[in-house]
Amino acid sequence: MTHVILSNLTKSFPGNPVAAVNTMNLDIPSGQLVAFLGPSGCGKTTTLKMIAGLITPTVGDITFDGASVLAVPPEKRGAVMVFQNYLLFPYMSVGQNVGFGLKMRGVEPKVIDRKVIEMLDLVKLPNIANRRPRQLSGGQQQRVALARALITEPKVLLLDEPLSNLDAHLRDEMRELILSIQRNLGVTMIFVTHDQEEAVLLANQIALIFDGVLQQYAAPDVFYRQPISERAARFFGGINFVPATRRGERLETAFGAFHVRTPGVENAPEGEVTLTIRPEQVVLNPADDENCTSGRIRSRIYVGTYTRYKIMIGDIEIEATRSGDIDHALNEGDAVRVGFPADRIWVVGRS
Amino acid sequence: MIGERWRIPLMLAPTLIIIVVLFFGSLGYGFLQSLGWQPNIGNTTFSLDAYATVLFSPEYREQFWSGLWLTIWVSLASTFISAALALMSALLLRQTFIGKKIATFLFQLNLPVPHLVIAIGMIFLFSQSGLAARAAAQLGMISTPNEFPVMLRDAGGVGIILAYLWKEVPFFGIVLLAILQSVGEDYEDLARSLGANRWQRFRHVILPLVMPGLLSSSIIVFAFTFGTYEVPKLLGVRFPEMLPVMALEFFLNPDLNARAEGMALSMIIAAITLLIVVAYMWAGNRAVQR
Ligand SMILES: Nc1ncnc2c1ncn2[C@@H]1O[C@H](COP(=O)(O)OP(=O)(O)OP(=O)(O)O)[C@@H](O)[C@H]1O
Ligand SMILES: [Mg+2]
Repeated sequence: MTHVILSNLTKSFPGNPVAAVNTMNLDIPSGQLVAFLGPSGCGKTTTLKMIAGLITPTVGDITFDGASVLAVPPEKRGAVMVFQNYLLFPYMSVGQNVGFGLKMRGVEPKVIDRKVIEMLDLVKLPNIANRRPRQLSGGQQQRVALARALITEPKVLLLDEPLSNLDAHLRDEMRELILSIQRNLGVTMIFVTHDQEEAVLLANQIALIFDGVLQQYAAPDVFYRQPISERAARFFGGINFVPATRRGERLETAFGAFHVRTPGVENAPEGEVTLTIRPEQVVLNPADDENCTSGRIRSRIYVGTYTRYKIMIGDIEIEATRSGDIDHALNEGDAVRVGFPADRIWVVGRS
Repeated sequence: MIGERWRIPLMLAPTLIIIVVLFFGSLGYGFLQSLGWQPNIGNTTFSLDAYATVLFSPEYREQFWSGLWLTIWVSLASTFISAALALMSALLLRQTFIGKKIATFLFQLNLPVPHLVIAIGMIFLFSQSGLAARAAAQLGMISTPNEFPVMLRDAGGVGIILAYLWKEVPFFGIVLLAILQSVGEDYEDLARSLGANRWQRFRHVILPLVMPGLLSSSIIVFAFTFGTYEVPKLLGVRFPEMLPVMALEFFLNPDLNARAEGMALSMIIAAITLLIVVAYMWAGNRAVQR
């Protein structure tokens, strides 16, 4: 159980004027499962490697339980990294791979053997200690890599894209496994992903990073209800963005005025802003007339469990989704009332 | 219809046939000659006399056995030391530093230089009348060039080993650099995060990763140093004399009967090379598995 704090953490690589990681401040309470989320090249792996000690920060500090670890070399730091491409040692058996960390610590072979069996059980791969890594599937290799990291009882477990090389079925399995291990061992875990769904499924807290800069650090649902910016909202699948002028609870748009009373909006920007609302929160033909405007259905796409509508309000396109069966009262070309519930609208700065 | 399974063997067949014919043809012919079979001078009977002469006759016995130990020593030392030096250099050259490109270029500079030229270069540089001796005398480190330590034409084969190192370190180097580049540093980073210190990373990560390449290039170097005569001929002494030089002298002997002895000695060289290569591979693989 280790409490990790990053303060002003910065990494500039030589020859590159743009910092790969820029003044990152992050507080990761002990026993949490935190996701570093962001597009490719945003500095996730670099941050992870700095925590592991494999890259030295240009500026800033990293503390474990209040003590700076910058002077502690990676082999003594206890922040173990599981790499994206597993990196099982090809010249060792699976058991030797898992036992590697203990062997490096000079643990007795008998004890190692016992622990290896325990760990392989933990990742649900009993009886494969004598196999060679190349005889395993990708998912199995991933789990062996996890066991190899866990056997050292790390203070912090760092996972680089743990699910991205797995197919849908294996992803679910691996996700369950990571969650159960995290619950059982209570180890502080940080994992990296570029997939918001993966972050939402696994993490207690998500750190959203763009271009080396931390954008927002919050629980997963916050990114859907209260994204920090249009770009953050888009990253989580937001698609409705309407220019607006905000004064307190009142939002003026090209197609009418709306009220906004969503919790937390007090702290959102005022003045020239962008109104956003998730497609599943847009109400078609609502019962009451507050926060309503008129539009025309441009297209209707039935996706199985829900239906997606594209609606033109003036020359602005809004997307709405409705779950359940297809509604034959709403057809292409029909006029429709469109409601933006006051407690669902969100406001971000104009970009 | 020819099955898909036969496609590759068939494509390889012409090459393999040439190799087999050349290899076993020449080896077979050489073997027959070593048994005394030389129809052109009327010898058509087989005997092991040539082998006995080389191995046990008072005339050659001592030359052979002392030559054998020298050859084994020189080849093993050249192979092992150049592999070790090359590994150290490759690990250094892999890092990022100022002048890396130039250093790598210089490191590989003498790859295309023939062994003969290297040997002559050694004489030019390190003999007692060579550049180094005269420079040392000029600088007052020694009073006359003759006091320069005997590095060439010494009974221990040091000059020969030095020449081979000069030539083989870059050879091992390019092989190792290529391997290190292709595996990258992730394995070492990983091992480090799992608690491996510098020595452990070398012993349990780098060494096993480069070992297959190191072993196969070692075999090439070993077999080469065991079987060629240019360098030892130029940089060695008359006694003890490395086996390939001894074989050469049999072949240069105007007496055609000496041809059988030369061939017998060549066969012995080939057999020993094979034996040591097999042992070396076995030992290398075992060392890594532990
Ligand atoms: N060793 C290095 N030298 C120079 N630049 C580097 C180095 N490592 C990373 N970078 C740069 O730093 C930035 C961040 O890289 P990083 O690997 O942390 O991204 P990432 O978020 O992990 O991306 P991905 O999702 O593709 O793995 C990139 O622009 C990359 O080019
Ligand atoms: Mg990465």
